[in-house]
Amino acid sequence: MLKKLEEIRTIIANEPVKKLVLAVANDYDSLSAVLRAAKDGIVIPILVGDKEGIQNIASSYGYDISDLAIVHEPDTDKAVEIAVKMASSKQAEILMKGKVGTSTLLKSVLNREWGLRTGKLLSHFALFEVETYHKLIAVTDVAMNIAPNLQEKIAIINNSVDCLHKLGVSNPKVAVLGAVEMVNENMSATLDAALLSKMNQRDQIKGCIIDGPLAFDNAVSLESARHKGIKSEVAGDTDLLLMPDIEVGNVLYKSLVFFAKAKVASVILGAAVPIVLTSRSDSEQAKYDSIMLATAVSRKLQ
Amino acid sequence: MIRTLDELVNLVLSSGQKQRIAVAWAQDQNTIEAVSLAVINGLAEAVLIGNKKDIIKTCKAESVDHSIFTIVESKNEITASQEAVKMVKTGQADIVMKGLVSTDKFLKAVMDKENGIMKPGAVLSYVCAVQIPSYHKLLFITDPAVIPFPDLDQKIAMAEYAIEMARTFGIEKPRIALIGASEKVTRHSENSIHYAVMCKMAERGQIKNCIIDGPLDIFLACDRKSQELKQVETPICGDADILLFPSLESCNPFYKGLMLFAGGELAGLIQGTLKPVIVMSRSEKKKSKYYCIALACLLAERNM
Repeated sequence: MLKKLEEIRTIIANEPVKKLVLAVANDYDSLSAVLRAAKDGIVIPILVGDKEGIQNIASSYGYDISDLAIVHEPDTDKAVEIAVKMASSKQAEILMKGKVGTSTLLKSVLNREWGLRTGKLLSHFALFEVETYHKLIAVTDVAMNIAPNLQEKIAIINNSVDCLHKLGVSNPKVAVLGAVEMVNENMSATLDAALLSKMNQRDQIKGCIIDGPLAFDNAVSLESARHKGIKSEVAGDTDLLLMPDIEVGNVLYKSLVFFAKAKVASVILGAAVPIVLTSRSDSEQAKYDSIMLATAVSRKLQ
Repeated sequence: MIRTLDELVNLVLSSGQKQRIAVAWAQDQNTIEAVSLAVINGLAEAVLIGNKKDIIKTCKAESVDHSIFTIVESKNEITASQEAVKMVKTGQADIVMKGLVSTDKFLKAVMDKENGIMKPGAVLSYVCAVQIPSYHKLLFITDPAVIPFPDLDQKIAMAEYAIEMARTFGIEKPRIALIGASEKVTRHSENSIHYAVMCKMAERGQIKNCIIDGPLDIFLACDRKSQELKQVETPICGDADILLFPSLESCNPFYKGLMLFAGGELAGLIQGTLKPVIVMSRSEKKKSKYYCIALACLLAERNM
C-alpha cells in the first residue's frame, strides 16, 4: 500500500491520460481542481455547462482554457444529462460533479436508458493519508449507503477491493468494524462481521483477507490487538475499514480530517465509470487528489 | 484416552467404584435387562423405583435375581421419577435413569426448579459418543434427542457440552464440525449464519478448547479425500471428533442410520444436569444401553 496520496501518480504514470467530464462546470470549487489536474497532465477535461461562466471562473484563477473541450449548456439538468451520456458512451472515462446537487447527478447516473448502471451497488470509497498510520487507509462507506445489510456490505467490499487492486494492493486486508472485537448477538454489526469473515474463508468473497469484528483500535494498532490477545492477519495492518453504517463512517471521516489533519481522496464506485463527487466542504486539495484517485480507478487491470 | 466404548467400560470397571443408579418406574423388561447387566458385571448398584410386585415379576420372567437390586415402592410414574431425582439430589444415588415412564414426564422431574437437578440456567441437550467400524475413531454427535431447532445460544451450549464430553474421553482439543448441506454461508440458511458466528466466537476465545469449522457437509467433516477433492480449506481436515447438527431431525436419523446399517454402537447422556441422567430409546441395542450406563458411571465418578 502507498504511504501518501501523491504516490497515486506513480501508478497512473504509464497510463494514457484519462478524459474527465465535469457536469455543470461553471463551479468555482470543482473547476479549479480540474484545471490544476489538467495542467499537471493527470486528466483531459471536458467541461459541460454555461460557457461564459466557465470562462470567467477559469480566468479568475488565471487559467487559459481556450484549448479545452467545452460543451455550452446553461440548463443544469441538460448539462448533467450530456455529461452522463458522454461517460456512458465512453467519450469520457471519469464523471465529476460540478455545480449541481448530488441527488440530481445520481438520478442521471441511475437512468435506466442512458445512465451508468452496471448492476453493482454504488458505494463511496475514501482513501486517507494519516500521519500516524504506516500506509494509506481506505474507509467505506461514509457517504452513500445509510445502513447496508449483509448483501450490501458484500457489494461494498467487492467494489472497494477492486479499487484497492487498481491501487496496487493485491490482497487487501479488510477490517469489519464493530464497537468490540467479540461477537455479541445484540450488536448486529458483529454478527455481519463474523459472516463476512467466514464467507471470505470459503472464497465467497475473493481477493482480500477479511477479519471482524475488530474494534477501531485493534484494526489499526498491532499493539492493541496483541494487548487483547487477538490473532488476526488484519489487525494492526488494515488496508480497508468497513463501517457498520453511515453515522459511524461519516463521524470517522470528519474526525480524521478535522482532528487528525488527514488528507483524503474519495470516489464513487460501482457505476460504469468512477465518479468524483466531492462536497463543497472538501478542500481544493482533496478534490484534486480525488480526481487523481479516479484516474487510477478508471484504469483497466491486465 | 478412551478410544472405544469397550475401553470406556474397562476404565469404569478398573476404578473399582460402583455408582448407584436410581431407576424411575423400573418394572419393564427392557429396563431391567439393561440395569441387571450393569449390576451383574460390577459397573453399578441399582435402586429400582416402581411397582414392587411388577418389578419382581419381570425379574423372574427375565431370569434375573431380584435380590441384586434394592427395590423401592412408588405409586405411579410421576412419583417414581420424583423419587429417583430426589435420591440423586440428596446423595443417596449418583445417577438417575429413565424406566418405563414417558420422557417428558421424566424430564419434568429432572428439570423441576425446586426439586430437580439442572445446572442453574443450563440448556438441556444430549450428546452421544458413536462407534462405527468405518470411522477411525469415536464420533461425538449432538443433539439427537432433545432440542428440535436449536437457536444460536443453544447451538453454542451444544458445542460446549460435546467439547466437554470429548475432553472427558481424553481429547484435549477436539475438532468440531458444524454440519450443513454445504460449506457455503448463505442468508437463506440460518444455520450457516449461526455456524459462521460460532467460528468467529471460537477465534475470539468465546468458545474454548476446540478446533471448530462450519458449515461443512459430512464428507468434508469426516473424509479427508473429499476435503482434498473439494479444496475447501478447513482445519477439520476430514478428521472430526464432534458433529454438531442443525436440528434434531437431522441428527436423530443420522445416528439411527449408523446403528441400523453401519454396525454402530453408542453411549449417550442428557446434558445440562448436575448429575448424570440416562435416557435411552427402548429400541437401542443391548450393548449400547450398557455403554450408556458406563458413560454415566464415568461421569458420576468424575463428579460431573
